[in-house]
Amino acid sequence: MDCNTCEAPSTVVINAPEQIEVSLTISKMAKEMLENAFGDDRSQALLIGVLSGGCSGYMYDLQIVESTDQDCQELVVDGFRVLVPNATSHLLDGIEIDYQDRLMGGGFKIINPNASSSCGCGESFA
Amino acid sequence: MGVFALDCYVLILHGSNVLEFINGLSTNKVDKTCTTVFTTEAAKIIDMCEIIVKPDYVAIIGHGPYKQNVLNHLNTRILDSDITIGDATANNEVLLSTSDIEVGIGVTKIETFRGHIIIAPIGKGPSPTMTEEDFSNYRVDQMIPHQGHEITPDVHPLACGLGHIAHEDKGCYIGQEIIARMRSRNRQGRELVRLPNDEGEKPTTIGLTHCLEIRRTNNG
Repeated sequence: MDCNTCEAPSTVVINAPEQIEVSLTISKMAKEMLENAFGDDRSQALLIGVLSGGCSGYMYDLQIVESTDQDCQELVVDGFRVLVPNATSHLLDGIEIDYQDRLMGGGFKIINPNASSSCGCGESFA
Repeated sequence: MGVFALDCYVLILHGSNVLEFINGLSTNKVDKTCTTVFTTEAAKIIDMCEIIVKPDYVAIIGHGPYKQNVLNHLNTRILDSDITIGDATANNEVLLSTSDIEVGIGVTKIETFRGHIIIAPIGKGPSPTMTEEDFSNYRVDQMIPHQGHEITPDVHPLACGLGHIAHEDKGCYIGQEIIARMRSRNRQGRELVRLPNDEGEKPTTIGLTHCLEIRRTNNG
């Protein structure tokens, strides 16, 4: 394996998932919380990412950013700039961003019609 | 005992967050060279793999027939991570030595619960000295599960003797909730046992005098 004279390993072809033009919605409660978070500065954007991992294989990643190096689709939803990475568009089309006001387990939640299951904490899905 | 030639694939992963990626998808705490298990959401085994950390890359060594399932599992979760996968199976041979033997330059050797795993460019590794039967006897004596026998897609890691590489507090990975629940309730369903040959009902490996079998536990 360490032999430098060996042929280089052949690259495994990764079948990139199809990029989808994403549509998404923001619930009334989530909209109020985003208005609090953004204030009057609408130059920033909500980046909705997906990372591998978690109990179910994928984890949501929400960030407020000015820009990103990721190849993204930019949407304007209810006046908010929303960025969705093209690499994960197939996992995020049709989602609703919700906010649950609870002492435990509250916060932003993603209601995802593409998810066949999700873990107890709601952050991970498959 | 000797050296046995394993049927293995060798994947080479490059990227800045490869260990974090593998750690999030498998049972053991993957922060250095170790053995881990990729599991499904139902905690069923996809493959048990050796993860070998090198300065420039990370190698995944698994069971040949399970390669495509592992690749599918990894590929769909790379997303836009900085990770590339190469297949070096055709360039390397993988052997298991029951004792710590000297190996040549360019040959990788790691110590695992199964024995010493040796990854060598084709023709550069030690010559196999064990037959399939010798290997089965060794595994039965040591209660070592093996892919295709005890380690199959039908079982979870606790059922086939891999509980020691399902880390208890590493955090989330695919299948973790189910394994944690089985542990906390002390109900793992099935377990790996070593029995005299005449007591085995559905042995998964048969040795000279004893066999390995996955049996239902008394606590369900």
